[in-house]
Parts: sequence; C-alpha cells; structure tokens
Amino acid sequence: MLQAQFFDGVTAYRHEVCISVLDDQQALVIHADSLAEPVRWELSDLRALSDSSSTAQLTLTRYTSSVDERDPARLIVTDSDFIAGLRATQPDLFRRDVRKRTWLRMAGWGAGAVGAIALMLFVILPGMANILAEAIPIEREVAFGKAVTQQIEWVLSSSSASTQRCDSPKGIAALNTMLERLTAGRDMHYEIAVQVFEHPGVNAFAAPGGQVVILSALLEKAETPEEVAGVLAHEIGHVERRDPMRQALRAAGAAGLLSMVFGDLAGAALVSEHLLTAAYSREAEVEADRFALDMLAAAQVDVAGFANFFARIEELEAGDIAIPERLSTHPDSNWRGAQAQHFAESQGETTAVLTSTEWAALQAICD
Amino acid sequence: MDTHHLAPEPQSVAARHNLDGLSLFFLTFKTGLLTFITLGIYRFWQTTRIRKYLWASTSADDSSLEYTGTGLEKFIGFLIALVILAGYLGVFQMVLFYFGLSFFDVSSDATNPAEQVRYLVAFYVQVIAIVPLIFYASYQSRRYMMGRTRWRGIRFSMEKGAWGYVVRAIGYRLLTIVTLGVLAPLATFKLEQYMAERSSYGDIPIKQGGSWMRLYPALTHLFIGTVILLVCLGVFISGYNGLAAALLCVGGVWVAIGFVYYQVKSFAYMNSHKTLGDEVSFKSEPKTIAVIRIYFIAGVGMSVMLLFIGSVMTAIFDLALSSVNVGLIVTVLGYVFIFVLLQAMKMVMITQPILEHFIQTFRIVNPEPLNQIQQRQADDTVGAEGVADALDVAGAF
Repeated sequence: MLQAQFFDGVTAYRHEVCISVLDDQQALVIHADSLAEPVRWELSDLRALSDSSSTAQLTLTRYTSSVDERDPARLIVTDSDFIAGLRATQPDLFRRDVRKRTWLRMAGWGAGAVGAIALMLFVILPGMANILAEAIPIEREVAFGKAVTQQIEWVLSSSSASTQRCDSPKGIAALNTMLERLTAGRDMHYEIAVQVFEHPGVNAFAAPGGQVVILSALLEKAETPEEVAGVLAHEIGHVERRDPMRQALRAAGAAGLLSMVFGDLAGAALVSEHLLTAAYSREAEVEADRFALDMLAAAQVDVAGFANFFARIEELEAGDIAIPERLSTHPDSNWRGAQAQHFAESQGETTAVLTSTEWAALQAICD
Repeated sequence: MDTHHLAPEPQSVAARHNLDGLSLFFLTFKTGLLTFITLGIYRFWQTTRIRKYLWASTSADDSSLEYTGTGLEKFIGFLIALVILAGYLGVFQMVLFYFGLSFFDVSSDATNPAEQVRYLVAFYVQVIAIVPLIFYASYQSRRYMMGRTRWRGIRFSMEKGAWGYVVRAIGYRLLTIVTLGVLAPLATFKLEQYMAERSSYGDIPIKQGGSWMRLYPALTHLFIGTVILLVCLGVFISGYNGLAAALLCVGGVWVAIGFVYYQVKSFAYMNSHKTLGDEVSFKSEPKTIAVIRIYFIAGVGMSVMLLFIGSVMTAIFDLALSSVNVGLIVTVLGYVFIFVLLQAMKMVMITQPILEHFIQTFRIVNPEPLNQIQQRQADDTVGAEGVADALDVAGAF
C-alpha cells in the first residue's frame, strides 16, 4: 500500500488515497474513504506527464479512447521505488497517444496550406505584380529606382573596400555613345541612366525606372565593346519590360508570406525568397535576351559579341564559385550563347559600336 | 465527506514556483536548436514543451498546474491560419507596397501636402489591416492556453468572443489615443474584464470586481515622468541645452520605469479584484522594483556574455577565414548558436524570473470552496492559437 494524491477529474477535491498493484501485475487499485468505490487502472493504460520539472514525483493518468484520449483524473505518486518500477516495466508510460484522424487532418490542412501559399506565390502575387507594375506612374518608378540603385551601391561598398561610382568623363562619353547607338530611333518608355560601380563581380543589374548598373569587372573581362553592348541591351530589355518593378512588387508580397511560414528564422525566409526569385526570373531572362538580340540587330551591332560573352560567363562559372547566383537565376549560358550564335549567323551588315579609343576609355572608366 | 473544519477566518494559500533554471535553459536551448534544424517547424513543440515545464513548476496548495496542449494541435492551428492569412496578407501587402512606394522615395516632393496625405493614408491603412488580427490573436491565444490548463484535474476555460474583443480593443485604444492616455486605465480595466469574465475554472465563472477609476494611482510614475519631459521641453525652448539634456535623461528613465510600474500595479489590482464564484478570491502583490531588478541583472548579464562570446567567435572566425567556404559555414553556425543561446538566456534571465515573481506574490484567499468545483465539458478549440503563431504575437512562451 502506497500513499498518493488523486484528483478524480470530476471535482477539484483532493483525495488522499492508498494505491496497490494487483498480484497479477495487470492493474493498480486506488482506495480512499472519500471515493465512492475503489478505482481500477490497467497498468498498460497508464500514462505519465512529460516535461515535468520535478523528478521526485510523477503525475499519472490513463489512456482512454474518449475525446481527448486521456482520463481527466490524475494520480500523483511520490514513492521513488514505485516510480522506478513503472518506468522499468511500462514501455508506454510516456507515449503520446494521437487520435487516428489527427494525422489525416494534419495532412489535409498541410496540403491546404502548401496549396494556398503556392497559389499566392506562383499565381496571385505574380499576376498582381504584373497589373500593378503596369499601373504605376513612371515618375514614381523612377524615384523608387534611384533609391534602389543607392542601396545597391551601399550593399556593394559594404562587401568590398573600393566601391565607388566610376565617372571618368571619357568613359561616360563612350558609354553614352553606346547607349545612343542602341536606342536611336526607338520608342523608349524610359530614359535609361547607366552607372558603373567599381566592384570585382562580373555582373550588371536593371533597377526600376530605367536605372542600369554595370560592375567594373564586367568591363574589364569583356573583350570587345559589342559584348558590353549586348549586356546593356539585355538590361534595357528588363527595364522596358518593367521586370525590376514587377520583381520588387512580387517580393514585397512574398516577404510577408514567407516570414509568416518560417517564424523568426530570418535566414530561411531569405534563402527561399532567393530561390523564388530564381524561379521567376528565368522566363524574364529569355525575354530580355530576345529583346537584346532584336535591339542589337536594329542598331546593326554584331550579335556575335553577345554570343561570345555567354561563352565567357560559362568559363567564369566553371572557374569561380562566386557566380552561382547567375547560374540559378539565368537560363543555361550554353543555350543562350547558342541562341545568340544562331541569330548572329543570319545577321546582315554590322558596324563597330565603339572606336578602339572609346573602348579603351570605357574600360578605364574607373581610373 | 470530510471532517468539519473550524475556519471562520478566511485562510489563504500562496502560489509557488519552483524550478531548476539550468534544466529550463537546456530545454530551451535544445528545442531552439531543433527548431533551427527543422526550419522552424519544431517551434510549436518547443513552445509546448516549455509551457509544460513552466506550468508543472507552478503550484498552489501543493497541487501543480498542468498544461495539456500539444505541439501537433498548435501546428495544425498554424496551418489553418496560414491558409486564411496567406491570401489576406499577401494581397494586402502588395497593394500597400504600390501605394506606399513613396516610403523608399528619397528625393520626392515631401512639401506637397497632397503627397504627404497619401503617405499617411498608406501608413495607417497598413496598421489598420494588421491591428484587428493582433487583437484577435491575443484573445485566441489566451483562450487556448486557458483551455489547455488544468489544476487538480479540473480544466480552466474561456468562452468564444475574439471578435467582440477586437471591436472593444480597437475602440478603447482609440479612446486612449484621443485622450492622450488619460483614459488608459479605462482601456486596461475593460479589456481585462472582458477576458476575465469569459473565463472559468471548472463550472465556476471568474468575476472581475473593482473600478477602473482605481487604476489611476498606477499611472503616478508615468505622470511624473511626463511632467519632467514637458519641463525639459520648456527648458530647451528657453535655451538651456545642458539642463534640458539632463532632464531628458531623467524624464526618459522615469517614463520607462513608470511604464513597468503601471503594468505591475494594474496587474496586481485587476487580479486582487477577481473572484472565483462568490467565495474564492485572490491577492496579487508584485513589486515593481523586483521586476526592474530582473531586467537590470539580465541586461548586464547578457551583455557580458555577448561580449565574451563575441570575442571567442571573432577568434574562431579569424582562424577559419583561410577558406571562403569554411568561413561561410562558421558564420552560419555562429549565427545559429548565438540566436539560440540568446533565446535560452532570455528565457532563464527575464521571462521565467518575472513569471516567478508574479506567481510567488499571488495568493488564493479562502480556497476551501475549491473542493466543490465540478469539471466542465471540454470545448474543442480547433485552430489553437494559429493566428498568433503565424503573426508571431504569442508572447514569450
């Protein structure tokens, strides 16, 4: 006979009880004068509460198949030998019994949640972003784009010691010559503003509102001005199709959603945001390439340069781990190069986009 | 049933809170790491396990509380909330981004009054869209916790009423803002009353007594701090900048302490004026100075720890920098480690000590009639506190 406390689950009255285990080791019996009749619990049905702060006592309850799976009654035992005995002989003591339909319910809501989020991320947000990107007044987009380029500059300068805007007058003049050559006679929605930042990354970006940023290493790695013209045409393609604006709008919607899914795990939300961007942008990249080829052809700039540049990216990707971003957000460079090459073969007469003096000035724009 | 007690004087029993801080630290740290490994999914089980532990450590009259919630139902509640919120918030945020673009806009024409009005509208629409959800979540969260708390085998419970709470909460908060805080006690009183009077233990409802006017003494220190800040403004306008700066510091600290004082005193008043049925009442006597001491010690302790860990991390990082990939891995692991460590330290240095103080200063007056309280049918709170989990407003534990 052991002393214990018992709450019958019907009233808050505390019964001071005696418990005994039956001789066949199948059940325990709870006796007290305050109980109408002794209570019998099968040992195999016993469940103990987990994550308790006290090791000196164990709160026991009983598995039932009723609504909340457990008998509301509680038996509190403090006898250490008895507790040790239960722990040793009852493997189900700390089992968490889950109703059968629970897993089904979880699967249902889980699928619903994944579906709802996928619908938002891949259908509704991009759709709304398309509509809003078209609806936004250009002057607001330009103001926003300037703020974005400033931020890009700030981010770049924090990752590399020597970032600055490159603005040697001759370099700027060469850049403008190239820009005019590409856009001459075209009906442009935006006034394109190209800037060069000193940075070791071989990359270029388009920000909303006609802002285009080229990193200096791209100019250094390019072998001909036609290659740079190709990249520039590609970024102008993004600008004219309002891709940066669309991207920013979609990201704003996705950010809130993703931070909800991951709680305060900021890192996970950021990574998935990036993957999402990659998924969206491949199509946009193909369209921008098409725009660029068209623009180069119209301006009678040799498209072979553009094709060559993809080959160069391919080399860089193989040698340098710093470009997986381009890898994932852009279509396969080989394929893009082949497309451009194919286009180049059918191209008519072309003229050089810059003179060799201008090209030298452009490459030295940061000096 | 029982021998007759000679108890004409109302006796009272104190609530107790006993736990081993180290075990709580390791529980929080361990479950925090699991949360990271599972990309955040384990966080529902983490909260549940910590609550179980804290509840089990809290007792009155030698019987401890029991938390019967499960991580699984919290997770399902979260999924349900996600389905609903995904649409609402996603679309809303993007529309706002469209109108709120101007926030990014550095060079825009801020002197144009029409533009200014548009910025303000965009900003307030954003707040207004989220606020009802936050109030909804806070009611649902408390309701869920009540429904999953037992003492002596008997359930606590709280009726449905989250939308009623939302309406009242918005109304009283607006009233507080419009009256520049003068009616803050009314808001505190009415909102707590709304929640308390929908709560019961077993079959006996909780009643909220007292009057909102009696909460005014709790505002004393906020009032003094505000007066000091107003004087500071006057002194600044008169051109005594040195004196103004000193007053600004004093006033700022006073307001901060005054805020804690209000929280502590209004908690004490509201709980000392609750009764369970007509017979059982409560006494709550927390001390502001004790709460401030906890914050102070935690602030110093965590800063020292952070400085120490920071220097160790820097040393490791320098060693690891020889390779870019190793450096990246070390950075990520360091971030995870510090994040989880801070979470666990906050739990044992702030959350739990404050909880402990509020519990240890809580007494049940005349507990005898508790013996007659009957169990009440469980109500199935589907959805748990999913909205609170999704919006991350569930609080410290």
